[in-house]
Amino acid sequence: MSERKIGVYTCGGCGIADALDMDQLEAAAKEQKAGFCKSHDCLCSDEGVALIAADVAAGEVTHPIVAACSPRVMEDKFRFDGVETIRANLREMVVWSHPANDEDTQMLGDDQVRMAIAQAKKSMPPEPWTEGAFSETVLVVGGGYVGLTAALEAAAAGHQAILVERSDALGGMSAKWSKVMPHLPPYRDPQENPVAGLIAKVEASDKITVMTDTIVTKTNGMPGKFEVELTRAGTPSAETVGAIVVATGWRPYDATKLGHLGYGASPDVVTNVELEGLLGDGPVARKSDGKAVKTVAFVQCAGSRDPAHLPYCSSVCCGTSIKHAIQMVDADPEVMAYIIFDELRTPGTAEEFYRSAQEKGVIFVKGKVEKVDGDLTVTYHDALLGDDIPMAGLDMVVLATGMVPNSTNVEAPALELEDEKLVPLKDDINPAAPIAVAGYKEGVDAPEAPARPEPSMPEGAPILNLQYRQGPHIPMLADGFADSHYICFPYETRRSGIYTCGPVRRPMDMGEAGQDAAGAVLKAIQAIRNVKQGKGLHPRSGDLSYPKIDLNACTKCRRCTVECPFGAIDEREDDYPQVNPSRCRRCGTCMGACPVRTISFDNYSVAMINDMAKAVEIPDEFDEKPRVLILACRNDAYPALDMAGIQRETYSAMVRVIPVRCLGSVSMLNASDALSTGYDGVILMGCKSGDDYQCHFVKGSGLATERMGKIEETLKSMMLEKERVQTMEVSIADSKKVGKLIDDFVATIDEIGLNPFKGF
Amino acid sequence: MPNGGPNSQAILVVGGGIAGISAAVETAEAGYDVILLESSPVLGGRVSRLNRYFPKLCHPTCGLEINYQRIRGNPRLKMFTMATVAGVSGEKGNYTVTVKTTPRHVNAKCTACGDCAAAATSEVPDASNYGLTTKKAAYLPHEHAFPMRYVIDPSVIGTPEADAIKAACKYDAVDLDETEQTFDVTVGAIIWATGWRPYDAKNLTAYSYELPDVINNVEMERLAAHDGPTDGKILRPSNGEEAKRVALIQCAGSRDHNHLAYCSRICCLASLKHAAYVREQYADADVDIYYIDIRAHDKLEAFHQKLKNDPQVTFHKSKPAAIVEGPDGRPVVKGEDTVTRDVYARDYDLVVLATGMEPSTAGFDLPVTLSQDDYGFIVPHVEDTDGMFSAGVAQGPLDVSMSVQSATAAALKAIQAVDGA
Amino acid sequence: MTAPLPESNGKKYDLGFARWVYENVDGGDKLSMCMQCGACSGSCPIGTEMDHGPRKLFMMIRAGMKEDVLKSNTMFNCTSCYNCVVRCPRKVPVTYILQDLGRVAQRLGYAEAKETDNARFAKAFFWSTRKFGRTDERLFSAKYYLSFGVGEAIKMAKANMPVARSLMKAKRMHLGMPHKIKGVKELNAILDKAEEIEKREQGV
Repeated sequence: MSERKIGVYTCGGCGIADALDMDQLEAAAKEQKAGFCKSHDCLCSDEGVALIAADVAAGEVTHPIVAACSPRVMEDKFRFDGVETIRANLREMVVWSHPANDEDTQMLGDDQVRMAIAQAKKSMPPEPWTEGAFSETVLVVGGGYVGLTAALEAAAAGHQAILVERSDALGGMSAKWSKVMPHLPPYRDPQENPVAGLIAKVEASDKITVMTDTIVTKTNGMPGKFEVELTRAGTPSAETVGAIVVATGWRPYDATKLGHLGYGASPDVVTNVELEGLLGDGPVARKSDGKAVKTVAFVQCAGSRDPAHLPYCSSVCCGTSIKHAIQMVDADPEVMAYIIFDELRTPGTAEEFYRSAQEKGVIFVKGKVEKVDGDLTVTYHDALLGDDIPMAGLDMVVLATGMVPNSTNVEAPALELEDEKLVPLKDDINPAAPIAVAGYKEGVDAPEAPARPEPSMPEGAPILNLQYRQGPHIPMLADGFADSHYICFPYETRRSGIYTCGPVRRPMDMGEAGQDAAGAVLKAIQAIRNVKQGKGLHPRSGDLSYPKIDLNACTKCRRCTVECPFGAIDEREDDYPQVNPSRCRRCGTCMGACPVRTISFDNYSVAMINDMAKAVEIPDEFDEKPRVLILACRNDAYPALDMAGIQRETYSAMVRVIPVRCLGSVSMLNASDALSTGYDGVILMGCKSGDDYQCHFVKGSGLATERMGKIEETLKSMMLEKERVQTMEVSIADSKKVGKLIDDFVATIDEIGLNPFKGF
Repeated sequence: MPNGGPNSQAILVVGGGIAGISAAVETAEAGYDVILLESSPVLGGRVSRLNRYFPKLCHPTCGLEINYQRIRGNPRLKMFTMATVAGVSGEKGNYTVTVKTTPRHVNAKCTACGDCAAAATSEVPDASNYGLTTKKAAYLPHEHAFPMRYVIDPSVIGTPEADAIKAACKYDAVDLDETEQTFDVTVGAIIWATGWRPYDAKNLTAYSYELPDVINNVEMERLAAHDGPTDGKILRPSNGEEAKRVALIQCAGSRDHNHLAYCSRICCLASLKHAAYVREQYADADVDIYYIDIRAHDKLEAFHQKLKNDPQVTFHKSKPAAIVEGPDGRPVVKGEDTVTRDVYARDYDLVVLATGMEPSTAGFDLPVTLSQDDYGFIVPHVEDTDGMFSAGVAQGPLDVSMSVQSATAAALKAIQAVDGA
Repeated sequence: MTAPLPESNGKKYDLGFARWVYENVDGGDKLSMCMQCGACSGSCPIGTEMDHGPRKLFMMIRAGMKEDVLKSNTMFNCTSCYNCVVRCPRKVPVTYILQDLGRVAQRLGYAEAKETDNARFAKAFFWSTRKFGRTDERLFSAKYYLSFGVGEAIKMAKANMPVARSLMKAKRMHLGMPHKIKGVKELNAILDKAEEIEKREQGV
């Protein structure tokens, strides 16, 4: 880059000039050695923008600093090709949240300009990482309905696809279905099974390579350049792919564990999957004697919603039993079908399917099955009649068993792992942890949180056998589903470029799973197209910066490789870390983890944050003006502070806010350096951690809490009180609370007294 | 690029709620030009008016903030607010869409300084609070408004107040003469993400929605929201007292042939969330949930169990027959408890009707013929020759995650349509 | 024609009974649509008088509780106010089903069908209709009271005296000869024909 030219443009609009002395802002800019400082009364006007654009065009400025409104607005207006615009937030965080023409407000405004200049001095336009060749092929793992759909969708979008299936034939579980549930209007009748048609299309496609009897035995590399080893009958072959869609589906819950529901007591107690094999055009003949089944009972939640078996609801079993009952009644109108349920779950338009079965005379009873005898007598407790009812004279009993996700390959042996502790395989969150309540009425005790099984290594081999430092598995949430933790971003798993879909992600029916396959393919294609331009993936989509490690300073401590939420950093044979740039999501957690601050981005580093903090003018102790540094997550806490300004909520002007990519990117050194340079306190503001964490980089706020927990010793050695550093959970909806949190903290500082390091 | 590269054809997304935003952003980030239309002055749709999502109890604005960052950072995505589709002609790969904009009376020069609101004197119902409160006739829809630009309510146009509002603006951003406009755009594919509206509880005559302390579930979201009419305190609308005995009525309209024949899917979980809102605020609160079936499908069952474990949340398997005004003005819920067979009449501080989702497209003449089911939901995709797709609740009663899934799928279908066209 | 009741061999729960009701009771096929929400029983103004109420009775039918269903007083207490029908989310014609279920129970000789208040009341009502072509409040009440025996009838008549006085005051009841309609004979012919058709349809 040629010479760095920093120019400050101060805006007087929106009340800024009414509340601040603009000349003093300019003085602050000059003193911080900005090349020039220009003022305008409305920078976002055409004229204001033209002023900056002209300087950019003339080569007068490489780092224009727009000292005006929040970086969260007018981003499009202040984007100039070839230069990096830096924003100083004088509106939301200064004049809208602090009294006008006040000494402290002015000092805050001056410091905002100083901090922006410090940022501009350190920031470099990021150079994207685009080394070597990139593949555009999509690897689809799993040849069932979802995998077939995914391969066809990828091909229809113009990409080559490799479809890998573990068994000797395509089709998976759903190939066995005689009919499938309807998901298009009028939602009333079982539909023809589409799987055979999909197989034919896949086989006819010149864009899809099918490999049956094949498993993925190794996955190396990163999005755009995954090196996969595919093994068929013991013979490995190598392929390079751009992204991976995992559609390994599900298996039925092991019915032999359902002895209490009569499984094994009679050949005529069958699972819903076994029944599929008996359904044809005519009446169902029972296994024991070939007699036509005239009376049948379906036992819902056979294993599902049962803490001793599967704690979750398998979603599809109600619809499946309805489909079966309809098929049996349609084939033989004399059939009486009973469905014994606890909660009948036909959400959405599937309610129509439920009604369709009722119209055909299928009988639904609400109850809990207590036992099924060898003579097929089903005894259930009828909740509505309040009685134990023996249902006798049945010809067949069908257990509606649930779905277990194939997030591992249980047909292959588990791998021996060197250090399981270093493999963050399963989330340690408890989805059944009690909600936070105000308390309980007198005489009412808070219930115990229901125990969850300890997260443990799942049985079976990893699906992809990732050759990642953080282990071979695709991370899973509770109950073994390889799902996203985010409601609004359901495809965001913790392994970039690898997208799960279908029942391996969440129990779902074929209608939803087909769409899910398309969604996952879109994400795969998007990853392929972005990484080859060096662009980061969600949530910092398009970010060109990535972490660079100066190995000369690296102590091989491995913290970055362990703490990266996305497993983006591996260890080389010589134990030095190695960044895989296209796996990286640009959160900076590695930067926050590094004890020797040797990891940095072109436009973001520990040193930059420190320089910004140091650019603030710290009044000496006799002024009795404390200074508190706030490092605020730019996704939640920073917008909350912004919105406090929009709501004209006021709070102490003693704080100086630096937005950070994620609290995970904050180093302990940022806090200790701030204290040693005279700040009186440091607040880390980020989102909720723990169960139901809300950090979009998985564990940034959790890590920050953990790291700052360790800072106590440092503070002790500096003879400082531990209250001076605090991690605060601030959500984006806390605009009306955040001011009080700040004021309370400043009051605590007032009580403890100013930092004795001031002026050193 | 595959197929010789994406051609220049853009993709239109109709509707700026969570499904439309997701469809637009995912499409743009895959490398396509996208036009996003939203009929209201801000993006965010229904979710921006929710307090929190189930089951994580996190704030919808958090995900919206990330999506807005993605939109702001992507020059390929152009959005138009207060814009609807007036007509569509052409075919897959080459649609001409007539877009109609209604006047905001505030142009792009707006800095959101707020001087216009200070000059406004009259109040209008606040749509972002479902009309539970009023706001100035010149307003920013809410604190998280995107785009962050003011709106002038048409009710003041032509009054001296409007002139005062215009005079207050230092940036020449107020345009009182703005009129309805139409313009054409050419696109290769269209994603309909037109969303839903709450079923009108006034139709449920037996449930006395006209009583002040009988509200619907979207209003409950506003009562619990920090920027809602009560700053997040759950208070009785009739007298401002704390609402500590609360009834949540499931299937208020849904699963009912007289109203919405389908199940709206989300209301059970939403009510469980509402029970959590109440229990978070009051130690001595009692919440009763009246239901037919609790439809906490898949992993959401854990959330159901959480609330079931709370001794102060009681589940009654019963569809209430009626809600009447009690002698002290409190609403009384009447019906038969199907498990105990008790015929009950219980009074409450607050009754929340879990009204269902009705597609926005139900009962309206669409500008183009789309394949719709009997309820008005738009069938996701019918034939390969078609370049129009639906996403989110326009397609069926879906929760937020499923809406985003369907939007992401629609994004793929749309790029296939323009690539292959 | 009503099919013979399934033989339950003394079992309390008979899987065949539900199907029998579906096929043999007017509106019974719609009974399968019930999802046990309770809106009917909750809406019933005299639900407390019923031993089970419509919702539970329907569940008992599904569970095959033949004897308990046919002995129930629920169907005889229905006043056909139609609150339940209007509110039923599944359009189950509750009142029709109850009415026909009552008729079926009566025909099959279930004692309750003859002895419940409602059955006695209906009988007296029908007697008055055949006799005068309309209800005569005094005579039809007397007929109803007397079905309980003379002693009981006197007690009931005494208890209802204040009501009778009010009715007379309001000119809703009169002393003297009962009013008859003009076409009593024709009305009886219509009723005879109706009974004949019903018998034929029931195969009696």
